[in-house]
Amino acid sequence: MHYPWWYVPNLTSPMLIAMIATVHVFVSLYAVGGGIVLAGETSFAYKVNNKSLLDYLRSHTLFFILLTVVFGAITGVGIWWTIALSSPLATESLIHIFVFGWAMEYVFFVLEVISAFIFHYYWGRLDPKTHRLIGWIYAVAAYISLVLITGITAFQLDIGNWTPDKGMWVAFFNPQTFPQIIARTGASLLLASLYIYLHAAFKLKGDHQLRALVENRTSRWAMAGAALVTVGGAWWFINLPDSARAALAGASALNILSILVFASSAVVFFMLYFGPYRNPGWINPGFAILYFLLGIAATGTGEFIREGVRKPYIIYNYVTGNNVVVSDIPKMQSTGYLNGGTWTKAFVKAHYPQVMGADGNIADSKLLQLPPQDQINLGRVLFQYHCNDCHSVNGFSGIVELTRGWSKDMIGTVVTHLDKAHFFMPPWCGTQAEATLLTEYLVSLSPPSPSGMRFSSVNAKSDHTFANQIEGEEVSK
Amino acid sequence: MNPQDLIGPVSPLGNPAPFWFITFFKVLGFILHMIPMNIWYAGMLLVAIFATFGKNHQLELAHRLSRTMPIIVALGVNLGIVPLLFTQVGYYQFYYPAGILMAQAWFSVIAILIFAYYGVYVYSLSVKKNKSTKFALASAWVSSIAFIFIGFLFTNNFSLMVNVPNWINIFNKTNIAGAVTGTALDLRDPTLIPRWLMMFGLAITTTAVFIAFDASFFKKNATSDEYRKWAGKFAFRLYAVGLIVFAAMGSWYIFGALEKSTLNAVTGQPLGLLLFALTAISPGFVLLVLFGQRKGVRGGAVVTASILQFIVLTLNAISRQWVQNVEIFRYEDVSKLPVDIQWSPMISFLVLFLIGLAVVGWMVAKIAAVEKQAAKA
Ligand code: HEC
Repeated sequence: MHYPWWYVPNLTSPMLIAMIATVHVFVSLYAVGGGIVLAGETSFAYKVNNKSLLDYLRSHTLFFILLTVVFGAITGVGIWWTIALSSPLATESLIHIFVFGWAMEYVFFVLEVISAFIFHYYWGRLDPKTHRLIGWIYAVAAYISLVLITGITAFQLDIGNWTPDKGMWVAFFNPQTFPQIIARTGASLLLASLYIYLHAAFKLKGDHQLRALVENRTSRWAMAGAALVTVGGAWWFINLPDSARAALAGASALNILSILVFASSAVVFFMLYFGPYRNPGWINPGFAILYFLLGIAATGTGEFIREGVRKPYIIYNYVTGNNVVVSDIPKMQSTGYLNGGTWTKAFVKAHYPQVMGADGNIADSKLLQLPPQDQINLGRVLFQYHCNDCHSVNGFSGIVELTRGWSKDMIGTVVTHLDKAHFFMPPWCGTQAEATLLTEYLVSLSPPSPSGMRFSSVNAKSDHTFANQIEGEEVSK
Repeated sequence: MNPQDLIGPVSPLGNPAPFWFITFFKVLGFILHMIPMNIWYAGMLLVAIFATFGKNHQLELAHRLSRTMPIIVALGVNLGIVPLLFTQVGYYQFYYPAGILMAQAWFSVIAILIFAYYGVYVYSLSVKKNKSTKFALASAWVSSIAFIFIGFLFTNNFSLMVNVPNWINIFNKTNIAGAVTGTALDLRDPTLIPRWLMMFGLAITTTAVFIAFDASFFKKNATSDEYRKWAGKFAFRLYAVGLIVFAAMGSWYIFGALEKSTLNAVTGQPLGLLLFALTAISPGFVLLVLFGQRKGVRGGAVVTASILQFIVLTLNAISRQWVQNVEIFRYEDVSKLPVDIQWSPMISFLVLFLIGLAVVGWMVAKIAAVEKQAAKA
């Protein structure tokens, strides 16, 4: 509310974060898991002095760098750029709490970049011991960067004992951090293995023996990964705050998806054991692609759930989905949502000077004296700043469809009882008069029930008129 | 609307570090970012030009630059994190609104940068495989133009950040029921173009120094004496071109675009005047040193030029910070915001920073040893 709201039609701007975060995680998990597997396998290849395995690992490293250093790194900073645009207040808060966490992350990113390039470009030119060590420097740096960022995203879901006067470490060591670190460690190893199967299936098409070795070796990492995902996921679930668990239970889609992720990790474990581990060499390109897509789907779903269950907060109990600091809500409820936002207030002051009071604030009592169209216009401003984080008008979670056929009463009731209607919505943060403005706007959009349904169309019509009648009566009284 | 109306409240969390600390790392981070950024900013255009029209040594230069370009871009992108991070900590009331007003441009940078970076790779791998194709050439051009365009967008963000009166125009023009569409740029700002091109001039100078550095230190065994001679002269000439652009755009910026009150606020203080003067003349010293090795790169001269160029970049970064502070303090003295120092995370970061430097130093020493051995063999 301190910043202008970025309006992205049909999609809502926070959905851009979700989109970019999802494609990022496919690669960033590989950047970590792949680093560990490459360091481990290169050490193994040196130890047994297997020249062809080393050659394969070298070619995989180029593939790895092309994907992680470019796409992974840029989408990673891209997430950060995007949260600053779409969730500025939450970002401002996170950065104040975790600035040194991010600064440490930066140290490890730089180490990752330098060690990855040296590992690749000086392959065969550095002595094996130094080369191995540089591989491990990459792996450790990448792993620590996973740990650091996970602490921050875990904090968003559960702030634990943190209060604004407590520092970064209290925030970092919240109940979600360790479970999420374990789950993500597992996911990173698992996903990295799938990338290796995929790459090897094409690259080593003709070399059956080497491919079998690569598959067998990789499947150990993959099985460890699947086990960690299951353990971390279960622990994550046990530690979930009540609201998040209720969100899981309430949203059947999320619920089914999370069971799918658990179940598929377990299935994958056995598939790996009896597949590439016991009978290496059978993964052909088709299977590799299938495996890979399954892995991507599971990872995407896991991350989607992790983000989805946080509602109504961006930072649990601290910043709500509509970019309001929780402790500011009571004040906004008494002096107004439009007054509480820097840009909303400036907007009203410039365009509706007649509602400004002598004290320089918006006078709540004057809002309902505006002509009807102006009331609807201000209702729309309220929608942009209070609802557009989660609802578009016509597109994603579109308010038009959600309120189809609703009476004015129903809309008015939901607006003033958002958190009661669905606990994953924030409470109404404005005054009664503002709720009326927003209701007017939503009523102006709300379409009637679909025609042809006998009972509903009759009801919907009578409902509207009924509501209008009551309104009329109240006014005339 | 009054500019002051659009500036949001102070964060209740307090700044995690004193203002001088935030500024120090913002400026230091920016200097470190500028080194690689300058090299791709002007260097990639040079690669594209020489790859298309160049002959002999010019072509050789394009190939050499393109081989190191992937790591330069990776480093530069990552080194950009810290200055942006500390901008967000210390100047959030200005940084976020400016970014949001031009959100679409910002968001598009992600895609443009990915394309630009893959373009660098396409060309670089084609050189490595000795197969120059039309596609690879086109990629080099697309990348270089994309980098310059990204620079233009970032210049917009940082000039808009201090141009609060323009927020009002943009807000009035690009809002839909009070929410902004994010389609704006800071095009009406007179400082925009000179700022953008001033950095481009500076980038040319840094690239010139890098070319001399590369010729005298990298792949010593594969570098012919003739190339070294040519590179010395070329670096000198290129630096002169960069200096002309920098001086012209810098004068336009300072005397033609910057608000007089801002200029006076800096140059009114002896230290500010000295800083500006040094910033303006410092590239001249580098040019002199490069003049000394125009008949062929020499290690000593190149190291001196590199250190001096680092100072040039440092002076630029400090001057910019000074101006930015003057422009921002007009609306809010962000140096006086409440502070709630996070001691142990801060110390952890500083310690890790030093450890990180040591590890990087160790790795660089290892590859330097490999290179040295290769040169002997
Ligand atoms: C933090 C996110 C969030 C915010 C902010 C938010 N909502 Fe919702 N709202 C949701 C979600 C999620 C749903 C469920 C959507 C679905 O079922 O498709 C929902 C559902 C609804 C529904 C349908 C309720 C029902 O029972 O079917 C209405 C009406 C609604 N929201 C109105 C609003 C209005 C008006 C605002 C602004 C004042 C708002 N919401 C703000 C997340 C939010």
